[in-house]
Amino acid sequence: MGKASDLDSVGATDLPSAGQERLAELLERVAAADRVAFEELYRRSAGTLFAVCFRILGDRPQAEDALQETCLSVWRRAASFDRRRGNPMTWLITLARNRAVDRLRARRSPAEGSLLEAGEIADGRESAIEEMEKDEEARRLAECLGMLDDKDRNFVAISFFEGATYPELARRASMPLSTVKSRMRRALLKLRDCLE
Amino acid sequence: VTEGRALPDDDDLLAAELVLGLLEGADRVAAEARLVSDQRFAAAVEQWQQRCATIVDAGELDPPAWMWRAISAKLAANDDAPIAVGPKRSTLRWWQASTALASALALAFGFVALDRRPAPVQAAVISAPLVAVLSGSDRGILVTVSFDRTSGRLLLTPAGLHIGKHSAELWVIPDGRKPRSLGVIAEHDPSYRPAPSIAAEALAPGAALAISLEQPGGSPSGQPTGTIILKGKLKTI
Repeated sequence: MGKASDLDSVGATDLPSAGQERLAELLERVAAADRVAFEELYRRSAGTLFAVCFRILGDRPQAEDALQETCLSVWRRAASFDRRRGNPMTWLITLARNRAVDRLRARRSPAEGSLLEAGEIADGRESAIEEMEKDEEARRLAECLGMLDDKDRNFVAISFFEGATYPELARRASMPLSTVKSRMRRALLKLRDCLE
Repeated sequence: VTEGRALPDDDDLLAAELVLGLLEGADRVAAEARLVSDQRFAAAVEQWQQRCATIVDAGELDPPAWMWRAISAKLAANDDAPIAVGPKRSTLRWWQASTALASALALAFGFVALDRRPAPVQAAVISAPLVAVLSGSDRGILVTVSFDRTSGRLLLTPAGLHIGKHSAELWVIPDGRKPRSLGVIAEHDPSYRPAPSIAAEALAPGAALAISLEQPGGSPSGQPTGTIILKGKLKTI
């Protein structure tokens, strides 16, 4: 049921523009409470959004809950998507990432370790070869992350995937807030310049 | 794509901080306010959202078949109609927005949704991450592995890895014991994920890591069966 791979591409934000157009159209119809459109939107995007949730949470039941919350947010907030400004898949992934990160933060506790298992599905990718041809973006990203030194890379990863705030990072790293901040900013600039 | 770069670096970084949720309190409120008053800043935010989406994008994973039913049941039960955005957008440019639209924008960007809970107290000391650079006979191929002992997560960054229809599987080889699988790694994408707990125990300074070529999906036996292409040792940084 419901594989978004009915689309030509699996590359989420790299969807061919026809795919993006369709998503934007569907979001507009969802904004008008069109349930048929919502179902199609779900079928086209749920695989991508579920992968994002799972990647962040590393736990299937949690990722399922996060996906449900994400979809309900999409239903309620579709009206605030503006196609002139943004890419619909980016918008959807942002919602999913924020939902998942939110959950991760809520469950974070000293006993957390026991929740973190089952890493094996994290790369639920279809064919590596297809990916090679399509995912130019991902390759560039890998190169750019590879350029950062290890500590910087770790900082960047924690912020993208765990949504930690500066004060939290400073606490976790036992470093002064200003150090954390300047290190993160330096790393983000490098990342941006490399991606451009 | 370049228009956001008209912003000074400091402002562009502020956009990144807002997207990633790095800011707290007054800093955050100020940045959110700017989002609705400054068009170039909002464009920079959109760009960072795009970068963030690319980074967290993890391909596709089929949700369980019951998921759609569960979602649509919730719509019916709540009769939870979408929230309409106040003014008609076609007659109002977004940056000339009213406060009503401002909150709608905040919703759109998911900020309000973040619901910042008070941060639970963390252990005061984070252990330094462990890092290994795995290399082999081909100098162009490297995989960097870093393990964050606090979160139990692995960050894998492959470079130059071309494995055709095989899967590349990562192993930790504890001294004098059998290898334990850390899972199959993606060929091009960096990935950040929890380390399987049994293998995580063995991730310590000095532990040997290796990547072997396995049949698609990884070794069926739970032990390496194919050629080892890359090796390295974990060390503290």
